[in-house]
Amino acid sequence: METLATSRGDKIKELFLAFSKDYAIVIAILALGLVFGVTSPSFFTRMNLTNIFLQTSTIAIVAMGQASIVLTGNMDLSLGQSVCLCCYIAAYGMKNLSINPWLAMLGGVLTGCVVGAVSGTLYAYLGIPSFIATLGMQNVCRGCARMVTSAKPISGLPDAVGLLARKYLFDLIPSCILIMALIFVVMQFVYARTKFGRSIYTVGGNAEAAFFAGINTKAVYFSAFVLGGFFTGLGSMVLLSRLDSANATNGNLYEFDAMIGCVLGGISMNGGKGKVIGAFFGVLFLIMFFNGMTMLNVNSFIQDVLKGVALILAIGIDVFRTKRSAMVSKKKAAA
Amino acid sequence: MEENTALSIQHITKVFPGVKALSDVSFDIRRGTIHALIGENGAGKSTLIKVLAGIYTPDGGKIFVNGSEARFRVPRDARAAGISVVHQEIKLAGPLSAAENIFIGQLLYTKLGFVDWRAMRRRARELTRELGLDINVNAPVSELTIAKQQIVEIIKAINTGCRILIMDEPSAVLTDNELTVLFRIIRQLREKGYTIIYISHRLDEIFSLADDVTILRDGRHICTTEIGNLSREKMISLMVGREMGAEYPKEAVQLGEYVFRAEHIVREGVLHDVSFAVRQGEIFGIFGLVGAGRTELARAVLSIDKRASGEIVFRDRPENWHNFRAAISAGFGLVPEDRKVQGLCQHFSVEDNISVVAMDKLVRHGLLQRKLNDQYADEYIRRLSISTPGRETQVQYLSGGNQQKVVIAKWLMADSSVIFLDEPTRGVDVGAKVEIYRLITDLVKKGKTVVMISSEMPELLGMSDRIMVMHEGHKMGELMRGEATQEKIMELCV
Repeated sequence: METLATSRGDKIKELFLAFSKDYAIVIAILALGLVFGVTSPSFFTRMNLTNIFLQTSTIAIVAMGQASIVLTGNMDLSLGQSVCLCCYIAAYGMKNLSINPWLAMLGGVLTGCVVGAVSGTLYAYLGIPSFIATLGMQNVCRGCARMVTSAKPISGLPDAVGLLARKYLFDLIPSCILIMALIFVVMQFVYARTKFGRSIYTVGGNAEAAFFAGINTKAVYFSAFVLGGFFTGLGSMVLLSRLDSANATNGNLYEFDAMIGCVLGGISMNGGKGKVIGAFFGVLFLIMFFNGMTMLNVNSFIQDVLKGVALILAIGIDVFRTKRSAMVSKKKAAA
Repeated sequence: MEENTALSIQHITKVFPGVKALSDVSFDIRRGTIHALIGENGAGKSTLIKVLAGIYTPDGGKIFVNGSEARFRVPRDARAAGISVVHQEIKLAGPLSAAENIFIGQLLYTKLGFVDWRAMRRRARELTRELGLDINVNAPVSELTIAKQQIVEIIKAINTGCRILIMDEPSAVLTDNELTVLFRIIRQLREKGYTIIYISHRLDEIFSLADDVTILRDGRHICTTEIGNLSREKMISLMVGREMGAEYPKEAVQLGEYVFRAEHIVREGVLHDVSFAVRQGEIFGIFGLVGAGRTELARAVLSIDKRASGEIVFRDRPENWHNFRAAISAGFGLVPEDRKVQGLCQHFSVEDNISVVAMDKLVRHGLLQRKLNDQYADEYIRRLSISTPGRETQVQYLSGGNQQKVVIAKWLMADSSVIFLDEPTRGVDVGAKVEIYRLITDLVKKGKTVVMISSEMPELLGMSDRIMVMHEGHKMGELMRGEATQEKIMELCV
């Protein structure tokens, strides 16, 4: 086909598109910070910022778990209630059964892995749609968590628990933020640079093609769910540490916050596309947004509405962008 | 404009940002004829069809239907002007009955305003009978064969009251028997005065079916003429824009030992005691009509599907693979039938698709090395002359032929010694086909072994050293190169 000269403006636009594709959420976070910084004097205080990051850390760790599942083109609806169950199992172990708190917390993390393994088996090996499998597991977890103490909270946990979230480095950075940062750095690396990480992307990108390339797709699905459960368990322990109690409301709706975080961070719901580090930025954006809204005294019901709008916008922008970049690349390929 | 011109396309131009997809295209289509529209991928055929269907608005030029100018802004305008398109992909609502599908968008109603099922079923039955067909119009269309679904599409198009029917590669998914039926229907429609625009990559079909032919290349109109005025060679060179070498670049290769033998392969109800053996450096063709069990045989040999019984002997050692992965590690590869769905991750880059099988080669110190990935990608892009803007380009933006090369590249990178190719040139245009044949020739020259499954007899005859013919899961026989002819093959497979 005949190629027309591409103008310089086109090139700049293309560059911007490429940048905004990976870092749109960072731009959004900066913009949001600017708006809240101007409108609310108490937004940029050390206490408020610490608070934002504290809240971000637990959900972001769970979102890392959700990300591994979303990257395969699925979602896990059980994560939030799994958090609740993990908290209760660990708290019950250390408080009521007087097990070593570290062992009890290990038990909590394992609980998350087991829940993930069950969902993974149901989906990968028995062929039950992940939506149904994890919705079922959500209810199973909710019930099991409440069975532990008939839904009564467990609080006043051993001091060791505090180490995960309430210990400060240089009196400035809470330990849970360090844990989260470590997880994201390591996992971003794992996804980009290991065979396992690439397999998750490939299966999410096209499971059938992955199969015909000799990838054990079932095992990849299964491990994605187990990994999801692992980070859910880890996130639960950080939450337990931060709250110093297991509560029936622990982890409530985390599965959705984690999912919205993933989507805002540019991870495609169809799987196989997006950087896991985006999940952190997505969750940070979400928490910042509500923190700022609360500071501006915006009604909490309206906040819910805005959360919904944010999700739709995030998906909408992704759809729009895919179409745009498809056109740009098509032009290039055709030329 | 002649009196009997059904459709006149005059100076149509369509520009996409950066690309001129159609450039001043003008030609006439005679009423009541079958008019073939051919050209390589990217020639502008689909753009032209989309303009005629009202999906794209042209940037310049005019369209005349039966002598009067027609402006199409939306697909509805085209339909109102009497133009209907049967797209390549079937676009029926699977769970709904054939009758309802035929009337989608224009359901019949009773006097009381309820849906008139009886009238619709009766009319649907009439329409199918008129074409001499027997289709259960009450069953969900998803239960019909692909061929019958396509006929439902045609009836649906006719039912809109169109006089000009555009058919976009209707033959791509059909077997020879089904093609015969389709051709009969198309000719019947011509007798009834319909004008048919027929798009296909298969030149044999065009010669047996079309009255006139229009060739497009690079968005330009090359020629419109009666089919009798063109030879096959002339047609190909006009499409490609240069003189082509041999259509089948077959070279004699010294055949080696038998690399592997498949013995007494059985899959309950699908494969019945099929045995064959392939020699090193050989191109072993497998022919059969759809349903003959060709793909199933490949899947059973490669342990993708479980065999009820049967043995694979690879380099004189019986192999007992439990799954496809084991077959891959042993040195087998498969270029699957459905390139788009089974062969590639469409939105992944060329390089990530190439390295997907042999990912281990990119690992140093337990980590994938981006640099190695780049190097391998560049190497295979060069060796297979894959035409792509870069290794980072998503494969979905490559042409069919280049996509297929990417699929082949991943087995080369995996050092597979026996490569199964299932319909390697399906949906690939003439020029790219020859390149793929050349690639296959190169493979066997380098000592690899190729098993080529195809429903296109000419390419099997042109490329294979031996052809095995299958029918309904049975091996019907083997023909050596030299003794194989179309007639002999057809005799075996019915």
